Amino acid sequence: MSIIKDVQSGKKPLKRAYVAIFLWFTGRAIQAAAKVDREVKKEFEKLPENFTFSLGCLPDGPWMVVGREKGVVKYLGGDSRGRPVQVRLAIKSLDAGFLILSFQESTTLATARNRLITDGEIPYALAIIRILDIVEVYLLPKLIASLAVKRYPSWWTPARKFGGRIGVYTRTLLGI
Amino acid sequence: MNSAAVFAFTCPVKTNSGNKALENLPVELAGLNAVNPLVVANARAVGSKAVRTLMGAFGDSGMTLGLFEGVTEATDLGVVDHLKNICLEKKYDAFIALGGGKAADVAKVLNLAVSLKTPDARRLLPEAPVRKRLLPLVVVPAAGADGLETSQLACLSRMVFSSEWLAPALAVLDPRLARAKNGIQMAATGLAALGRAVESHISADQNPFRKAYSFAAIRFVRENLLSAVADPGNRKAALAVLNSAAMSGCAFSNAASGRLHKLGQVFYDLLGIPQGVIMGMGLPLVLEDALREGRYDLAALFQPLAGDDAFAQTPAEKRPEAALVLLNRFLEDLRSVLGKELPKSLREAGVPGYRKEEILDVLGQDEDGPYLRGVVERMADGERERKG
Repeated sequence: MSIIKDVQSGKKPLKRAYVAIFLWFTGRAIQAAAKVDREVKKEFEKLPENFTFSLGCLPDGPWMVVGREKGVVKYLGGDSRGRPVQVRLAIKSLDAGFLILSFQESTTLATARNRLITDGEIPYALAIIRILDIVEVYLLPKLIASLAVKRYPSWWTPARKFGGRIGVYTRTLLGI
Repeated sequence: MNSAAVFAFTCPVKTNSGNKALENLPVELAGLNAVNPLVVANARAVGSKAVRTLMGAFGDSGMTLGLFEGVTEATDLGVVDHLKNICLEKKYDAFIALGGGKAADVAKVLNLAVSLKTPDARRLLPEAPVRKRLLPLVVVPAAGADGLETSQLACLSRMVFSSEWLAPALAVLDPRLARAKNGIQMAATGLAALGRAVESHISADQNPFRKAYSFAAIRFVRENLLSAVADPGNRKAALAVLNSAAMSGCAFSNAASGRLHKLGQVFYDLLGIPQGVIMGMGLPLVLEDALREGRYDLAALFQPLAGDDAFAQTPAEKRPEAALVLLNRFLEDLRSVLGKELPKSLREAGVPGYRKEEILDVLGQDEDGPYLRGVVERMADGERERKG
């Protein structure tokens, strides 16, 4: 018997499932927010036509791909193969992804802790982060959203916040 | 500081420290072009939980890892040769040393033997120059680390291998592994870091890069060691001590081998006494001598030990003595927390007289031999105790 054991790395099915569901829901929410929120719409308008970005975990996902086709923002699923991706936001591990997406760490803190890799133009990546922050404010209650975003937008009017929330949730659930 | 001084500094070690730092390993290894790593660990020293934590960090990466957890204090070049043959056969392309001390030394020498495809590792000689970049080495120091993990040195079979290429490419410091079994283990790590950092910091040759590392290491020890010793479960303080050990190794690699390091190494090699325990015992003696000799920049110690405000308020000529007073007070505080667990003399450390002679013989072969023998004699019964 060899003195060296071969050990196959294990699996993390629960964390993987959580991250996959979160990314799926957020992807659809971004599509919805681009129709409901003016600020998100404006951010997307500044991005080039056919711009596509992905967010997910290394080494093999899960991923979320969102793109702009003929001026319309669409959630394109979890597989970017066969599609040019202009910006890839990669979280270094599934555990780091779980930390970020379960709001134990904000995106900014995770970036400071070297958990994210940006592959693409930095200004575009920053636009995506701003969009994600707005979407999280719509999706999450204030207490949790404050942990996820750098600065909670207390200056938003109730009409924008609650009206937008209804719009984003309805469109996300219906996928429109 | 003399800006015209001629100096060189090398530190190829990337550091990943903090919560869930271990989980970055698969990506970091991919960045080093490694997909088939071998983990080298002393399972008895670090515990099976640490091994499980490390292996768990590779979850979902799809990698297969080799695991050798049989490193002991008796591991020698014969074991390294056997491991080398298996590594060449199984084509391992990176090494991960889990834990401090021997595991890191074995991983470094094994990396040397595998990378150079040495026909017989038992014939490896420290004098033979290493001219080739080795395979990537990752060190994951755990409780019981001595700071040499991040250095360019490897000590095995009473030989000291030294090369820039022996230094690890990556050091991963994770709070889950920083927790010590007891206060004395934590104190040994901190004192080894403090000893090496202090020697690097007061070295006569000017090297601002090295000073940046040693300054931070001393300050980390000063601010965190007491809390970490009083409560070994304090993850924040324990991680800071582990960081200081890593920094002291980087600083030490760029300084001439110090007297304290030599003392600690000899006692560890021959008697297995943690280096930090011996270095903590010898630190006041060596620094008092350094103050008398006037060859060392003891005043430079005052700022990391006392803080910026006290440094600014103390006249330059008083800083060397003040630094010594602070350091002695710090060691006393540490002893008051640990009580008799931290020995003040070789007698308290349980070093028998006949082994002392053996140690004196080994020290006698060093260029600093006469001086070091004198220090050991003074440490034997605790000179400071005698003085009252």
